[in-house]
This record gives sequence, C-alpha cells and structure tokens, in this order.
Amino acid sequence: MVVDIFLPAALREYARGASRVQASGRSLEHVLADLDRKFPGIRQRVLADTGQIREYVVVFVNGDQVTDGEPARVPVKDGDTVHIIPSVAGG
Amino acid sequence: MASIPKGSTVVLVGTRKGLYVFHSKDRRRWKLAGRFFEGIPVHNARYDPREGVAWAAVNSFTWGPLVHRSKTLTKWTRGKAGPAYSKKSGWSVAKIWNVVGGGPAAPGVLYAGVEPAGLFRSEDDGDSWELVEGLTSHATRPKWEPGNGGLCLHTILPDPKSAKRMVVGISAVAVFSTENGGDTWKTMNDGMTARWFPDHKPRDIGYCPHKLARDPEDPNTIYQQHHWGVFRWDDAKGRWLDVSRGLSSSFGFGLTVGSEGGSAYVVPLKSDGDRTTLGEMAVYRTRNRGRAWQRLRTGLPRPAHLTILREGVGSDGQDPVGVYVATEQGQVFSTRDGGDHWDVIADNLAPAMSVTASPYP
Repeated sequence: MVVDIFLPAALREYARGASRVQASGRSLEHVLADLDRKFPGIRQRVLADTGQIREYVVVFVNGDQVTDGEPARVPVKDGDTVHIIPSVAGG
Repeated sequence: MASIPKGSTVVLVGTRKGLYVFHSKDRRRWKLAGRFFEGIPVHNARYDPREGVAWAAVNSFTWGPLVHRSKTLTKWTRGKAGPAYSKKSGWSVAKIWNVVGGGPAAPGVLYAGVEPAGLFRSEDDGDSWELVEGLTSHATRPKWEPGNGGLCLHTILPDPKSAKRMVVGISAVAVFSTENGGDTWKTMNDGMTARWFPDHKPRDIGYCPHKLARDPEDPNTIYQQHHWGVFRWDDAKGRWLDVSRGLSSSFGFGLTVGSEGGSAYVVPLKSDGDRTTLGEMAVYRTRNRGRAWQRLRTGLPRPAHLTILREGVGSDGQDPVGVYVATEQGQVFSTRDGGDHWDVIADNLAPAMSVTASPYP
C-alpha cells in the first residue's frame, strides 16, 4: 500500500526539502515506520515515545482528522493521502 | 554569517524563543553571532572547548525535543534522534533540560537530563541515546512528583577524575550519585532542608535541589542552590552544610562556580511566591566555600525585580573569571573581573532560561 504524505515546512528538511513523499504500509504506524527508514528521525517528530501522535501534531488521512492517537489502529490503502500538520496552538 | 574568531569568549543564551550566541575578544565589547532555532525554546546550550563542539537542547512545542550540535556556533546540525523512553514505560520525553559532555574522564560521551526525569547517554554526539536505566529504576522512582518547574533532571555533574562517578539533581525529588557508571544510584540528601515536611525526619526524596555546581579545584565539593538554602557538600562528613548565612534570601535558582577553588556565585530571589530579585539586581560571591558572601552590584540595575531561572547563571572558567547572568526579562549581565564590576551584554532578548560561557580557542 503506497500512500502520499504531505509534510509541513518544519519537517521538509528531513526529506531534502520535499513537501510530498511516498511511503508504504497497511496502517499509519507502518507508513510512519517506512517513512522513518527513508528519512531517519522523522517518525519521532510525529509520534511521542509512547507511540501516540504528539499532542500538538494533527494527522489527516484523506482529509479526515485522525482522532485515534494510536497509529496502529488507523488503516490506510493504496493511493491514500496523509497530511501531517502542526496544530494551531502556542503563543 | 560571519565566523567567530578564534581566541574569543563565547556566551550562549538559551531563551523561550531561540538561542543567542555572543562572542568577544576582550569580554568588554560583545557581538551577536546569531540567533538560532527562532521561536523554539532552548533550555540549555553549551560549548565544550575540550571537545570543540557545542550542543543545544532544542525543545519544540510541536515536534518534541532534540539535541543539535555545532563546531562553529553559527551552523547547527540536528541529531538524528532525540532521547526517548521505551514505549512500555508509558513516559515520553517532553523536554531536554541539560546537555553536558562527559568531561576529561569520559571524552566523547554526552549526557542529557530530561523531563520527565531521566538521564540519557550518547556516544555519537547526540545522534542516538541510551537511557541510564539504573537511575530510572531507582526504588524511589514511583514516588517522584514534579515541582512547579516540572519533573526535570536539570543538573548533570560528571566527575572530572572518574568516568564511574557522577552526581545529578532532580527538582522536587533529590540529589543522586553513582560510583559505578550509572548502574546504581544513592540519594545525597543528608543535611538538606525540606520545610514542607511535617517534621525533621530525613526522607529519601521530596527535597528540591534547584541547581548544583562542582568546585573547580576539588571535585568532591559541590555547591547547591536549594529551594530552602544554599548548601555545600562536605564529602568527609557525607552531608550538606547550610552556607546561606549572609545572603539576602536563601531562595534562588541559578548557581555557578568561579575559576578558583572555593568560589561560587548565586543570585538570591525573594521567596518561592515571588521569584524576583529583592528590589535590586545583586549577585553574591563567596571565595571561601560559603563561609562568607559578598554582595556585588556595581553596574547592576536598581530598582530591579528580575527573575533568574535555574540555568541563568554561568561562568567562563577563565582567570579572572567571567560570570554571566541571564534573566527572564531578557537581559544578560556580565563581569570580567570576578564580579567587582558588571556590564550589560544584551537587553530585550526573548525570556532567557539559560546562559553558559567558555573560551573559543
């Protein structure tokens, strides 16, 4: 299962400046693991040590916000799009 | 960006909105080499002249903590991975509070103190990290609770003579020491005060070390700014001695040592309810291991109600020693004569959390 991943500006340095990359897997967890193999360190920017999506990171799959913090429980399929976005927060 | 000339002194100021790097050939006229990690909190950054590299604890609100490194101080490289707890621990590293090289006894080793409290070790300059499990598995760990600043391991003191020995400080918990490279740890609390306890019975945890610094000549002597007092570790007696007498307040956060044995600097603050200087900016210096303190304020502002956080006092290890104080209001004060006279390096920076200084040989 190959999905398109759209990276925010803050993470593009991991992907040599690319805003759109591809990774494979049957769940969001697998996709992020594959992404990390291609661009080491990027998974840790999205997921906390517990394996859950960081508190101020938002992930959309095909335009729908992932509300389950466990990426292993989020299935993906060929051609899906994943957007990784910093949440609107802070000051 | 212009490079920093060899033979300079460098001052690294970590703020809530990035890292400022200053340099000077004479410690009188300072230049800003640059501001880095704009908008991101930098809890601690230091240049290690022995290793020829600087490290910065960069704690992104969104993307988590990472250690970055630099040989030039003007171009920074992020580590490949930040320190991380295991998934099964249930903890996640929220901030890196301190990054410290292993010192002369452990060259090539880097330590990071994190929140929630833990100690990590790297042997590849911050690209990968290993948890020092002996500390996190200490019998008291289930009882560790955060103070107002969080459950942070904020001070790491490698022993310059032995890679096996180290002292660390954890706020609202205790001071811990190891003599076997981190396999096992014991608390170092004897003599410390904790006024929130209902009686004077010694406890294993619940003390509140704010900052520790090791004497430059006698590594067995350690100074501590505690929540309730300034203390000196008496190694022969195996206990802390209260050396607060003569200070305007026993409360404060920042602490550093001078270049000569027996010298230390603190900035007293008014109580834990206020946490500001006592109407004036004043630094206190001891040259006799805390037996007496001198109030230093020539060149410092008055009136002044400033806050200096736990990493907000640093020294450069030179002779005469340069001492640097960074405030939460964005000032950086400095002295190049051991504290007799003070100047302002910078004003109106972002709120400062840390300052370190060293030669840039």
